[in-house]
Amino acid sequence: MSHTNALSFPPPSPSTGTAPGVSQDRSQDRGVVLQVKGLVTDFNTASGTVHAVRDVSFDLHKRQRMAIVGESGSGKSALAMSLVGLVPQPGRVTGGSVKLNGTEMVGLDDAGISRIRGKDIGLVFQDPMAALDPLKTIGSQFVETIRVHQDVSVKAARKMACDLLGEVGVTDAKRRIADYPHQYSGGMRQRVLIAMAIANDPSVVIADEPTTALDVTTQAQVLDLLAKICDERGNALVMITHNLGIVEELCDSVNVMYAGRFVESTSARALFESPAHPYSKALLNCVIDPATTKRGALPAIPGSPPDLSIDEPGCPFAARCPIGRDEPRCATERPESRALASGAVVRCHFASDIPGDEA
Amino acid sequence: MIRNILKRLGVALATVFGASVFAFVLLRKVPGDPARAIAGDGATDEAIAALRKSMGLDDNIFVQYGNYVGSLFRGDFGFSYSTGNSVGTLLAQRLPATLELGLLSVVFAIAGAVIASSIAVYSRRRWPDRFLRISSSLAMGSPPFWIALLALLVLSIQLGIFPGPEGRLSPGVLRPPNVTGMFTVDAVIAGQWGTFVNAAWHLILPAIVVALGPFAFLSRLYRNQLRGTLRETFVTVAQSHGLRRFPVYARHVAPHGLLSLLPAASLLFADLLAGSLLVEKVFGWPGIGSMTADAIIQKDFAVVQAVLLLAAILYVVVSLAADLIMTAADPRTRVGAR
Repeated sequence: MSHTNALSFPPPSPSTGTAPGVSQDRSQDRGVVLQVKGLVTDFNTASGTVHAVRDVSFDLHKRQRMAIVGESGSGKSALAMSLVGLVPQPGRVTGGSVKLNGTEMVGLDDAGISRIRGKDIGLVFQDPMAALDPLKTIGSQFVETIRVHQDVSVKAARKMACDLLGEVGVTDAKRRIADYPHQYSGGMRQRVLIAMAIANDPSVVIADEPTTALDVTTQAQVLDLLAKICDERGNALVMITHNLGIVEELCDSVNVMYAGRFVESTSARALFESPAHPYSKALLNCVIDPATTKRGALPAIPGSPPDLSIDEPGCPFAARCPIGRDEPRCATERPESRALASGAVVRCHFASDIPGDEA
Repeated sequence: MIRNILKRLGVALATVFGASVFAFVLLRKVPGDPARAIAGDGATDEAIAALRKSMGLDDNIFVQYGNYVGSLFRGDFGFSYSTGNSVGTLLAQRLPATLELGLLSVVFAIAGAVIASSIAVYSRRRWPDRFLRISSSLAMGSPPFWIALLALLVLSIQLGIFPGPEGRLSPGVLRPPNVTGMFTVDAVIAGQWGTFVNAAWHLILPAIVVALGPFAFLSRLYRNQLRGTLRETFVTVAQSHGLRRFPVYARHVAPHGLLSLLPAASLLFADLLAGSLLVEKVFGWPGIGSMTADAIIQKDFAVVQAVLLLAAILYVVVSLAADLIMTAADPRTRVGAR
């Protein structure tokens, strides 16, 4: 059985007023724009096949902001790249389906998928310093991006680029458009890249850790910008991150990824109020609150993530799990996803949304 | 910008000076007495001593170097006793043949490397890349004179596709009127198409043989640069914007490869003056290389010194030009950029 976030969207609970940009209006539109079913991505390496993404399914609705969280190596980025067919060598999507506005993307040839990339689905990458061609001006790269999908003159495309740059907060865009990437700061480059990603008005924007490479003050600005843009233009957003603060501030729903699978899919609110999966709980325990955390060792999840080239029979988190460590069932039987009463979907034999009820 | 150029000019002059000292000292420290070689085996010790004195070989080495540099500035490259000509005359005679060969092999090497590695990297199949890797290893590992002999044996003598080692023209074909000294160019200028075909026919095989080593080196360099650039994030980003494979390759991958190819190619060009030494000898090509090979055997100091110095100057000039082009071509180093 495949794991679906059966959670109804919008989340049933009333939204808090504190999160910037999380408005109620967005949730009225319920059409599914991106539908992922049973996605599998493998990397064939010399030392064996690494199963980076294992049977991932989700529905992304119009205007929804969905987070995918997990630690390094959990398969988040491989998943993001799988969605647009840009998994780096020697990786390959080996199964499942990705439907964008009803069009199947898995298995399309270069010409077919190039018509969709950038036009219906936009990507924002992790490292803005490396994401622009250093030999070309911002303007020429931007014009290229627009003209791939829109039949407009160079002059018109340049005008559009200027407007978009202004929209994302590049001051003096008319002059700055002739500059080269190295003349922009990291935060400014990420703004440029966001502008390029939305230039052809895609219905889905995927942001793969868009602020990891930026300094803290810039991070907040870029996130606010991303939220604002998606709000104004009505794009759905998939935010790949390991920063739970971003999830809390920005996203409606969240999928916790572990060892290539979604282990918990729920509303962002529910995750922070009552995480159901032991791994989600462990993750949340690692969030440092400066007010309460004592000096000394930072909280961490004991053990390390499993080797993704081995398809173990049991629950991949069992060895690190406070429950699964002692349960023979967790070592031998892989938990399938099941919906809890709250609407959260988890892959765990013992998870419960009633606090203190498990085990 | 001016300061930058002056700085590089300074370094260039220092390099040439270093090369002249090196050539001078090295040739005076190798065993063998040029005076004895000139005077011949039957000469008496007194005659040789007198000759050494008249050649200035008994002077202090600093004095000798001073004399050498002084005459250089008067345009006097010395006298080649083995041929009985001034070195300046010899160079003027020989240089066009070497330039013609060198230029064509540079074109062959660069064009071949760019085309072959582009195919190897762009192709979705594996065999073009494997083929390139194996053949470039072979080409880099084989001595050029050996390839030259092999090529002559098979392509000229066995198959008769190319002419034998008879120089730049078939016997009986007249030289075209001298303009550049390069026969193919001169023949075109004079409109002598028969001569052009004959000169080109003689030129192609040695040019291919000379180009093989540089081709192998450049194609490896270019291939690795392309493969490295393909892994850059901006390539994935361009794809994510909807660019197809070929435009991404042509606009965002190839320019980076070409930029890195430029300095390496310029160094090879300077190399070709001396590098085709034995190949010229094998093909009977009357250029600088065969002249130098003869001069080394004859201990004809003045000639070897002049060629070394010429190679150093060419090397310095070409790499300086490549530096300046690089600086202008790469926006990150372009002066005046904010």
